[in-house]
Amino acid sequence: MNQVKEIWSGFQKNPMGILGFLMLLFVVIVAVFAPLLAPYDPDVQIDVEPGDILAPPDSEHLLGRDDAGKDVLSQLIYGARVSLTVGFTASFMSLFFGTTVGLVSGYYGGKIGNWLMRVVDFLMVIPSLPLMLVIISLWGRGLWKIIFVIGLLGWTSIARLVRSQVVSIKERKFVERARAIGASNFRIILRHVLPQVIPIVLTVAILDISGAIIAESSLSFLGLGDPTLTSWGMMLNFAFERGLSRRAWWFLLPPGFAIVWVSMGLVLLGRTLEDIVNPRLETHHLFDANRMLSLFVGEQSKREQKKENVILGVRNLSVSYLLDDETELQAVEDLSFNLKKGSILGLVGESGCGKTTAMLSVLRLLPAAGRITSGEILYKDKDLLKISEQEMREYRGNDISLVYQGAMNALNPVRKVGDQIAESIMLHGKRTERKSTEHRVRELLERVGISPALANQYPHQYSGGMRQRAMIAMALSCSPDILITDEPTTALDVMIQAQILDLLQDLQKDLGLSIIMVTHNLGVVAEICDEVLVMYCGKTAEYASVDTIYNDPQHPYTQRLLEAFPDIDKPNSDLATIPGSPPPLDMLPTGCRFEPRCHCKLDYCGDKTPKLKRVGPDHYVACHLVE
Amino acid sequence: MQRTNYLARKVLFRAITLVVVIIFNFFLFRILPGDPVKSIARSPRLTREVREQLMVDFGLDKPVWINIDALKKGNILGGLDTQFTAYFQELMKGNLGVSYRSRRDVAEVLQERVGRTVLLVAGGEIIALIFGVTLGLIAAWRRDTRLDTSILLSALFFWAFPTFFLGIILLILAGGHLPIGGMVTPGLKPVDGWKYWIDVGEHLILPTLTMAIIYTSSYVMIMRSSVLEVLSEDYILTAKAKGMNTFQILRDHALKNAMLPIVTIVALNLGYIVGGAIQVETVFSWPGIGRLMYDSVTQRDYPMMQGIFLILAISVITANLMADLLYSILDPRVRAE
Repeated sequence: MNQVKEIWSGFQKNPMGILGFLMLLFVVIVAVFAPLLAPYDPDVQIDVEPGDILAPPDSEHLLGRDDAGKDVLSQLIYGARVSLTVGFTASFMSLFFGTTVGLVSGYYGGKIGNWLMRVVDFLMVIPSLPLMLVIISLWGRGLWKIIFVIGLLGWTSIARLVRSQVVSIKERKFVERARAIGASNFRIILRHVLPQVIPIVLTVAILDISGAIIAESSLSFLGLGDPTLTSWGMMLNFAFERGLSRRAWWFLLPPGFAIVWVSMGLVLLGRTLEDIVNPRLETHHLFDANRMLSLFVGEQSKREQKKENVILGVRNLSVSYLLDDETELQAVEDLSFNLKKGSILGLVGESGCGKTTAMLSVLRLLPAAGRITSGEILYKDKDLLKISEQEMREYRGNDISLVYQGAMNALNPVRKVGDQIAESIMLHGKRTERKSTEHRVRELLERVGISPALANQYPHQYSGGMRQRAMIAMALSCSPDILITDEPTTALDVMIQAQILDLLQDLQKDLGLSIIMVTHNLGVVAEICDEVLVMYCGKTAEYASVDTIYNDPQHPYTQRLLEAFPDIDKPNSDLATIPGSPPPLDMLPTGCRFEPRCHCKLDYCGDKTPKLKRVGPDHYVACHLVE
Repeated sequence: MQRTNYLARKVLFRAITLVVVIIFNFFLFRILPGDPVKSIARSPRLTREVREQLMVDFGLDKPVWINIDALKKGNILGGLDTQFTAYFQELMKGNLGVSYRSRRDVAEVLQERVGRTVLLVAGGEIIALIFGVTLGLIAAWRRDTRLDTSILLSALFFWAFPTFFLGIILLILAGGHLPIGGMVTPGLKPVDGWKYWIDVGEHLILPTLTMAIIYTSSYVMIMRSSVLEVLSEDYILTAKAKGMNTFQILRDHALKNAMLPIVTIVALNLGYIVGGAIQVETVFSWPGIGRLMYDSVTQRDYPMMQGIFLILAISVITANLMADLLYSILDPRVRAE
């Protein structure tokens, strides 16, 4: 029931789907009420005189007459019946065959499944129209034979689709649970698997109806239609053979556009349903990159001048995501920090605290819905939010590099790793000759601990740790000043994690690199960071040097995070957890955002928002407790 | 090593498919009513000698599948002396039978016609690929803009057209400006050199355009969804973070990855494309395999139909094999499978 509602509400938002539905509805009504609508009996020649053959339209025959003097409009109206009968019955057949084969093959898998799929693969390469022509001309012309043949040849794609769906559903919890309590396979298929598959299969079946209608019209046009019925394809056959030379457009165009009309309606309807049932991501990485700045109104920095050794200064940065219904969700609010030259800054907090959003903002790589609403990002005295996209590209990868989490897909799978690193070098003109670029690539790979000989391999030949190293090599390729790493060690095992961290630390020392490290791992922070910024719900909770954070944490959230981290000195102490999780952006609490989860809150914490206060040299806390 | 395995598996599967098609072809023309092979031999149009030769060639006096008489006599090899083995042997020799109507050798007629259809299909396919890939790429990149909507809607519109009807429309629209039927103006011969070929080219325009429009529409839709998928991959973000501009990203990272599924789809599509060629050649009287199919269907020329069906199936299977090979070259991941 819920699903029906969901489809309906998706449908209402999509004018194309409604249009398609109305187009189809119109044809269905015409077909059902054909006897009432048709002015004449389509098969009867009434008082045909020589002049009536292919007579052009007049007030009695709105679409003129055909080559036998019959009324074209009436034939057109009755033709809707043939087309819809063929379309619906044939695609129902395909649906039935395809779903059965797909279910059996997907659910049982194994030998039977494989053999069924082999049959499908075989049938898919047989050219279908020639085969239909052969079968019908051997077997004889007739409506039900045509329907049977179209249905028989149309099920393979449905079988494939159902199979792939079933294979993924089979592994899900609810099916395994049903199996565990001893439900029979038949029952599981019928009650648990089929209902999941049906919506997506139905949308394909709708597209199939249009395929069947077009197939029937092609067969009829080629002279193999049912001779006892007047279908649109048949009309076109006669019109083409006998009417074309007489320029009888009234005979030729209406049946053709009737086919286009009904299949267009079906396609619009089918694709709309497909989008609703199987929604795609709303956006992609190239989606309107410049829109970000179009809404941005820069605010002047209120802070005093930055210190000498600061390489990146972020001032009062606020970022929002704009939803479809025009509501704005604030992901980062009034964030400020200084990255000192040659130091490592740790950005910590649970998932969903705005860390990644903040870092993507620095490079202006926010997804399309993201908006930087205020703030400054100062790199070497230049506000990166005030330059053009073209200028910004000069900085990306060249002065500021990004290594983000999940290197699995961060490298293009069909290009050699070495080439992908070389691409960056050439792009920023660091090397122009092929030879020296290759030399540099080998040097970089060696630097991150990958054998230079592996430059010619593809990402899938690398292990997870190697891929992450390759990403780092790529990020270093243009000798940037700043390296932003976003959870670079998540999803890697502990040994590899340690190696990557060592590498980053070495790089920082050897190359004088400044690093921002986004992480939720406080162990990592303790090991290599110089300063720490703790974020909660898009705001700074606490910002201080690493020693201060560990020895004198002031914010309850920081304290909790530290307690939740295992301490080697106290191996037997219980690990604390923070109850609950960060609220979603559309349900942010009033007052202090940590208040609902806080263990030492005051009465007014839920009403009053705490300001970021300086509590010591370079130690900032946003909490009412320190006031 | 792994790649060789992959290729060996593919070649084997396609070879089996081919054998199955050959058996299927034999079976199809014997199981359905009418028993056309017998009627070839009975056809009054053939001379007595040809008829007798056919009876021997096709072994029509022999049983269809298993020669039980020979087996009973203890002759095991003789058990294979059947219509099926005879069909297979003749096929290996390239003998596809004799046309009912023209009394010409089917293989010979096919040989003469096949090049013309290849010309048409290849032209249409290349144009469709170029436009389909480009428009699909643009539509995906400018997703949900007015440009995307208009590209997508026009693709859907032409996708809803039966191929033959689009052909008829173009024929009506261009009538008088371009040649609308046949392959060459009567009277011109290949010895006329460039004049002949220019004339053939003019005759090719409308049928090729019809094919191109129809298949552009489906490639646009396939390419668009393929590119949309690729553009939301992480490596596109990596490319952006490197400082590449939109054009460079589309060219160096999106295009090749998004084109991969197209390779397979082009080959699979060939089955539909030969179906389209039958319709287009019928509308424009283009004397290729498709028109031949239409003529044999209307004339109930079974040997010809059987030969055409076989040749079309073989071409599609071969194209699919070539797509497998190409895919393994383009996608390094396949080798690791």
